[in-house]
Amino acid sequence: MSDSTAPDASVLAPNLSFALERITDGFFALDANWHIAYMNAEARKLLDAPGEILGRFWLEAFPKARGRLFEREYHRAMSAQMPVQFVEFSETAHCWFEVKAYPSHDGLSVYFRDVSERIEAQREIDRNVLRQQALIDFGRAALGGRPFPELVIEAMELLRAIVDVAVVEVYDFERRSGGFTVRAAEGWNVGIAFDPAVPALAHVGSAVRTGEAFVCSDMRIEPRARVLATLAEHDVLSCIAAVIGTSDEPLGALAAYARSPRTFTAGDVRFVESIAQALAEASAALESNRRMAQVLESIRDAFVAVDRDLRITYVNARMAMFWNVDASEMIGVPIERFTQAFNDDGHALESFRVALVNDRALSFETLFDDRWFETRLYPFSNGVAGYVQDITNRKKEQQRVLGLNAELERRVAERTMQLELANKELESFSYSVSHDLRAPLRAIDGFSQALIEDYEPRLDERGKNYLDRVRKAAQRMADLIDALLKLARVARADISYSEVDLSHLAQGVLDELQEGDSDRSIATLVSPGLRASGEPHLLRVVLENLIGNAWKFTRGVPDARIEVGWSGESKEFYVRDTGAGFDMTYQNKLFGAFQRLHSSVEYDGTGIGLATVARIVHRHGGSIRAVGEVGKGATFFFALPHGAGGTA
Amino acid sequence: MKKPYILLVEDNADDVELTKRAFSKNRIVNEIAVLTDGAQAIDFLFGNASPYEGLPQFILLDLKLPKISGLEVLERIRSEETTRYIPTVILTSSKQEEDLLEGYRLGANSYVRKPVDFNEFVEAVRQVGLYWLVLNEPPPSSGGGM
Repeated sequence: MSDSTAPDASVLAPNLSFALERITDGFFALDANWHIAYMNAEARKLLDAPGEILGRFWLEAFPKARGRLFEREYHRAMSAQMPVQFVEFSETAHCWFEVKAYPSHDGLSVYFRDVSERIEAQREIDRNVLRQQALIDFGRAALGGRPFPELVIEAMELLRAIVDVAVVEVYDFERRSGGFTVRAAEGWNVGIAFDPAVPALAHVGSAVRTGEAFVCSDMRIEPRARVLATLAEHDVLSCIAAVIGTSDEPLGALAAYARSPRTFTAGDVRFVESIAQALAEASAALESNRRMAQVLESIRDAFVAVDRDLRITYVNARMAMFWNVDASEMIGVPIERFTQAFNDDGHALESFRVALVNDRALSFETLFDDRWFETRLYPFSNGVAGYVQDITNRKKEQQRVLGLNAELERRVAERTMQLELANKELESFSYSVSHDLRAPLRAIDGFSQALIEDYEPRLDERGKNYLDRVRKAAQRMADLIDALLKLARVARADISYSEVDLSHLAQGVLDELQEGDSDRSIATLVSPGLRASGEPHLLRVVLENLIGNAWKFTRGVPDARIEVGWSGESKEFYVRDTGAGFDMTYQNKLFGAFQRLHSSVEYDGTGIGLATVARIVHRHGGSIRAVGEVGKGATFFFALPHGAGGTA
Repeated sequence: MKKPYILLVEDNADDVELTKRAFSKNRIVNEIAVLTDGAQAIDFLFGNASPYEGLPQFILLDLKLPKISGLEVLERIRSEETTRYIPTVILTSSKQEEDLLEGYRLGANSYVRKPVDFNEFVEAVRQVGLYWLVLNEPPPSSGGGM
């Protein structure tokens, strides 16, 4: 159709009329007196117009257009003599028309078509935007800790406004009976009570059972639930019902009713379901908050939670008591107001910030009102949780322990000093022993000798023999003193470990013995590669004593033999000789100080050598043992750290 | 002419006697001046307490002495211009490592441990006397006019 020129109704040519009858838009023409001059078939159909409509005053034919855009716009077009275009709902046709009207001095040409579908789609889109916004707001409110009754009221108001229903009901599920009771309702003309005995027959029962919304567009002809007929008597004819929660664990249900038969859009249904869902989540969150609050109220710590703006979202009773405030009045108050009172250098407040920014738990201690408090901060997604604990007693206990430790350390230091003193005394004692005890011995020996030399003529053989014995005794005592000093030194010596070549040491000892006793010819065998970790001086003392003993006890033995080696089997070194040996009965006496298994007439010696050897080996963490038989020789086995033999 | 003499600092009378005996047995006839504590030794060497003319040919010094220890005496000897070159031999019972080290650190010329066996003692004295009196060439006696 052409918009450029308006057709003149009064001079319609038959061919034009033919064209107008064929267009898909509705078309009618009004003359200058607002009488209907022409109306095509489509218009008649759309407006359900009677046959004798031509020539009638248009508002008389369509009275419902009065006061609507139709009337106003047509008049505006005529008086201004300019085309108009608009969309308006037609009460006559019960649909939306998009209208274009072209004026001329002789009348008005009107084209219109049904755009209900487009308009409805647009309105649904608008409603969806509204619903989404409403849902977001409601969801926020639902999870924001608002009391449940308030949320229920808000939900009902939202449903009435957004879904445009007359009545809304919220039901609670009764776990014990399995039925439902009305928690809240809005919009009934007169109060009705839902019968909890028959929920399974009802729309609510269906929604809960299936978990899906029950939608009914006309209860009068609804076959699914008989009870709806009862509801219909209460002036509602269509409804949406949705479960709050899940069909497995229903918390309740939500129902929205319209007074007229209505085909609810998918958006309407989704909105009702979403509101029900939000209520379920709010209920769960509140329940979880309630449980959490129970826990937080029961703990002995004071507890405070703040949001990301460091405003208080929760304080437990203990914290409220601590601050001497009413817990319910604290919500939304900046934490700063309390941290300032608690710790005015700003450290406490800063700690909240740090915990939040670094997303890391931290704790700090504060002294307040003569008591010590420990605050532990734990950041979480929406803020920071703080636990404040009075640690005054713990602190006191700590101080006591610290005091005890200090006392203990003082005592240890005292003991150490005493020990050091004792060691020093022992050292000076050893010094005196070595120095002062020898002087008289020297005198005894020296003057005995002088007697023998200067008074020889006056002494008989026996006299000389006695003096010899005096001298021997003195010299022996000198040896004993030296040996004792050595033993004492071994006991105190610090051991600094290094790798020691025992083969080399042993050979050195044997060479020395051979040099000092060149008359003797003994077969000696030192295994190469004997190594151990220890203090070289002390290990030499070990070998001096063991090899020295072997040397001593093989005196007078034909084809004597001394071996120094390694027993790979027992991981021990050994010094073996073919000498006098010993009776195994007395083996436990071998390593005691002053213990001798041979008389000093047979073999000289102090009786301290093996004690010294044992002490050195033990101080290295090793062990020593001896195997022997009288007349067949002895073998001394000893183990040392990292001991190894080249020829195992 | 100055009479050469040996200075013996020893508090034990027996040791003094035995040392003298050991010298005589070795036919060392030099006079022996005996002082029985460290203080006397200091007075003798640095005061006017000496009846002798000049300094001793060598000093036999015990370590464990009353009043002033042998090591202190040695330190004093080595610190004074007049006495620093006098050969000084430590003759003692001790063979503690610390004593040995300290003795040498302070400038002892020798360190001899007194053997208990008198025969060994005689031998030790013989060797010491022989060495310091005969073999060793003493420093020019700059401080001899004392």
